Amino acid sequence: MSARRRMLLKVIILGDSGVGKTSLMNQYVNRKFSNQYKATIGADFLTKEIQFEDRLFTLQIWDTAGQERFQSLGVAFYRGADCCVLVYDVNVMKSFDNLNNWREEFLIQASPSDPENFPFVVLGNKVDVDGGNSRVVSEKKARAWCASKGNIPYFETSAKEGFNVEAAFECIAKNALKNEPDEEIYLPDTIDVAGGRQQRSSGCEC
Amino acid sequence: MASNLTEEPAVEAEVPPASGREQTPKTSVVEQTHGGSSEAMEAEAANGLKPFTLEKIDTSNVENVTVEDGLKARGSVGDEIHAEDAEIEGIRGKNGSPSECREPCSEPLNSEEFHDTNQEIISAEDHLKTLSFAENQVPDNKLDAISIENEPENVRELEPDIDAMASVASPSSNGYAGSSSTKSDGSFSGIEEIDRGGTEPDNGVDEFSESASWVAGKRHLNEDDASISWRKRKKHFFVLSHSGKPIYSRYGDEHKLAGFSATLQAIISFVENGGDRVKLVRAGKHQVIFVVKGPIYLVCISCTEEPYVALRGQLELIYGQMLLILTKAVNRCFEKNPKFDMTPLLGGTEAVFSSLIHAFSWNPATFLHAYTCLPLSYSTRQATGAILQDVADSGVLFAILMCKHKVISLVGAQKASLHPDDMLLLSNFVLSSESFRTSESFSPICLPRYNPMAFLYAYVHYLDVEMYLILLTTNSDAFYHLKDCRIQIEMVLLKSNVLSEVQRSMLDGGLHVEDLPVDPSHPTLRSGSGSPHLGMQDHVIAGSPRQENAGIGGPAGLWHFIYRSIYLDQYVASEFSSPINSCKQQKRLYRAYQRLYASMHDKEAGPHKTQFRKDEDYVLLCWITQDFELYAAFDPLAEKVMKWLGCEVLEWKQDRGSGVETRSSFWSGGVPVQAAELWSRFMLTVKV
Repeated sequence: MSARRRMLLKVIILGDSGVGKTSLMNQYVNRKFSNQYKATIGADFLTKEIQFEDRLFTLQIWDTAGQERFQSLGVAFYRGADCCVLVYDVNVMKSFDNLNNWREEFLIQASPSDPENFPFVVLGNKVDVDGGNSRVVSEKKARAWCASKGNIPYFETSAKEGFNVEAAFECIAKNALKNEPDEEIYLPDTIDVAGGRQQRSSGCEC
Repeated sequence: MASNLTEEPAVEAEVPPASGREQTPKTSVVEQTHGGSSEAMEAEAANGLKPFTLEKIDTSNVENVTVEDGLKARGSVGDEIHAEDAEIEGIRGKNGSPSECREPCSEPLNSEEFHDTNQEIISAEDHLKTLSFAENQVPDNKLDAISIENEPENVRELEPDIDAMASVASPSSNGYAGSSSTKSDGSFSGIEEIDRGGTEPDNGVDEFSESASWVAGKRHLNEDDASISWRKRKKHFFVLSHSGKPIYSRYGDEHKLAGFSATLQAIISFVENGGDRVKLVRAGKHQVIFVVKGPIYLVCISCTEEPYVALRGQLELIYGQMLLILTKAVNRCFEKNPKFDMTPLLGGTEAVFSSLIHAFSWNPATFLHAYTCLPLSYSTRQATGAILQDVADSGVLFAILMCKHKVISLVGAQKASLHPDDMLLLSNFVLSSESFRTSESFSPICLPRYNPMAFLYAYVHYLDVEMYLILLTTNSDAFYHLKDCRIQIEMVLLKSNVLSEVQRSMLDGGLHVEDLPVDPSHPTLRSGSGSPHLGMQDHVIAGSPRQENAGIGGPAGLWHFIYRSIYLDQYVASEFSSPINSCKQQKRLYRAYQRLYASMHDKEAGPHKTQFRKDEDYVLLCWITQDFELYAAFDPLAEKVMKWLGCEVLEWKQDRGSGVETRSSFWSGGVPVQAAELWSRFMLTVKV
């Protein structure tokens, strides 16, 4: 494969509602932050081009809705994902506890070929809130959980202040890339003369 | 066996009363064509959406946010589009060519449809706009003013729908961050320039004519879904994978359209999740057509007013073209790895697809499912067939000699038959790939209608600038054998002067309506507007140059016709001549035929035997028997012709029992359908 080839990486962002998934994405893609909460309905799609190790990548970011009622969209949305980003709010314990559910749900729905090694990234968001005083999930606890799930890379971020967002997404791209399967040679069959059926259909099917 | 003589109310007075009984208003026929399919789909879409509408009810807070958003997005974006449309029409008006915006014969039909399905249309419209055009901030205040004025009244009643639609993809973001420059270039002067410059292919001029300056390959690469020019394109084609990764887009860079293609996948998958399938979404002037082929999704977004079945047929052909290059084995790659990116496998084939899409607007083969031959004398074609047959007997599956998109001769091994769609895709592949022209080539290809699962091998060699030979084999080691075959064929062709005859035929062109004979004994035609002096048979067989009487049209005001032999899978089309001179007019006629074809072959309302319709451009006649289909366009001002046509068709209907005789009497005044030996000049007389 030529090194010139552009790659498209499908990145799914998951996490409880209100943890700041859309804000992280907006900070990363548009470098913008708004204090106003707007619930995502279904999913948002954003595209960002990045250059990494001399290669051009397009991140196709699927920012999903956190509300449970949207989980029925799972299969459709998760199919063919290259990386999954799990987001929680360091000030809300429940959102951290739910990471496990999100991860398992993703693995069930997307059914990647190698679930053990599927690239996840965990982001602990909103570290800026109240100068860190309202924080309930310690970094240590989060890192321990990540380590127990096959050393998931962990980042503490603030979508509001743009803290660590770029680094997190760079890691996301790197991880998605790592999972790139070896290119097999595309080799379809050749028609067998004896078995070459003449499926002459009776005209058009339109 | 009831045949329908269907026509426009305007002509009613012209038609003898006897026809009134069997007459169905034209609108009803065609309306059923559209109505049937769209109704079904809309029901489907509605079903699919229900769960969401329900879900929305219990989340009042969220709902408010969304609705507001939705309205905002629609307000600005939707009316921006109206403004654009107005602009386009204005420009067209100046150029004096309203063809694309206003197609007289289909307009009343559409408006009828709108009454039926008003609700669905509007909700779908909002859907579309919120999905694809949201977040494109329009800086122009002027637009906001328009937006309030244009706000459709009934939109508010439909908020739940909008909301449900928005559930699939929130309207709040669909931006592409990588190119913020394109987002702000929404100045209207820019748009005008685009239109005036005539760079938009679907405006007709540069896309229509086969010989015109049309260049294959991708254009407008810098565009994405945030560019206004991109959104103004009349006909988009997208191919994407079931994970939402873009594979092909007619306009714009696939990677920049990644967000848009994710949206398309979300729509398709969302409906699929409900155990349903989305086929068509109507959004104002736009139709969005979806075709799902396993892991490959194809979508067309068009405002060309082509019938749904025609556009779906075009998507099927694009899929076929993809199979021709890759076979269906590509599905296995997706099974193994849903992340699979197909684009590298299609590397370098953009010209193949753009040339196919171009063919949708000039090549009747794309909707007739038939191929056409280069006019040649019977003996020449026999001689060519004989040498190809020799080669076929030596283990070649198909041997095809072609000149551009026209067949010179074609033979197949025993029991092997070649579908006209495969012919179209194969010749398109060869003609659009420059590398075939430079040297003899051996390439794996798949004929999707023959066997979509596996490859054949094609030996391709150009004998001169326009003439090429394709030998298909199942043996991947056959290159040298096929090369020998080619040398042998070339020798025979040279010796028998076939090459020079082909070149002469290219210069002479095809059949001209002016050259058609008129039966002088025909009572209504003696004073016809045609040229009654030419003996068709003598003229054609001799291959002498055409008499200088162009510009009058053929007998009985005949301007153009396409004759398709059902058994032979072939068609003959007359050359375009005055008054159908310009590319725009040709494309309009082509689209009119396409509509005729669609309505005649409509499974629910049809099949029909005859259809006769008149508008201000022409009188169109379609006549289908078990042997042939005839599509003809006549001068709408030649009133006698219409009287004559009406009488003749009736006469034929009354006397249906004696098939051949009546048919020949009918065509003695128009197109000589009956003279088989004559058609041998224009067709291969055997089925392959």
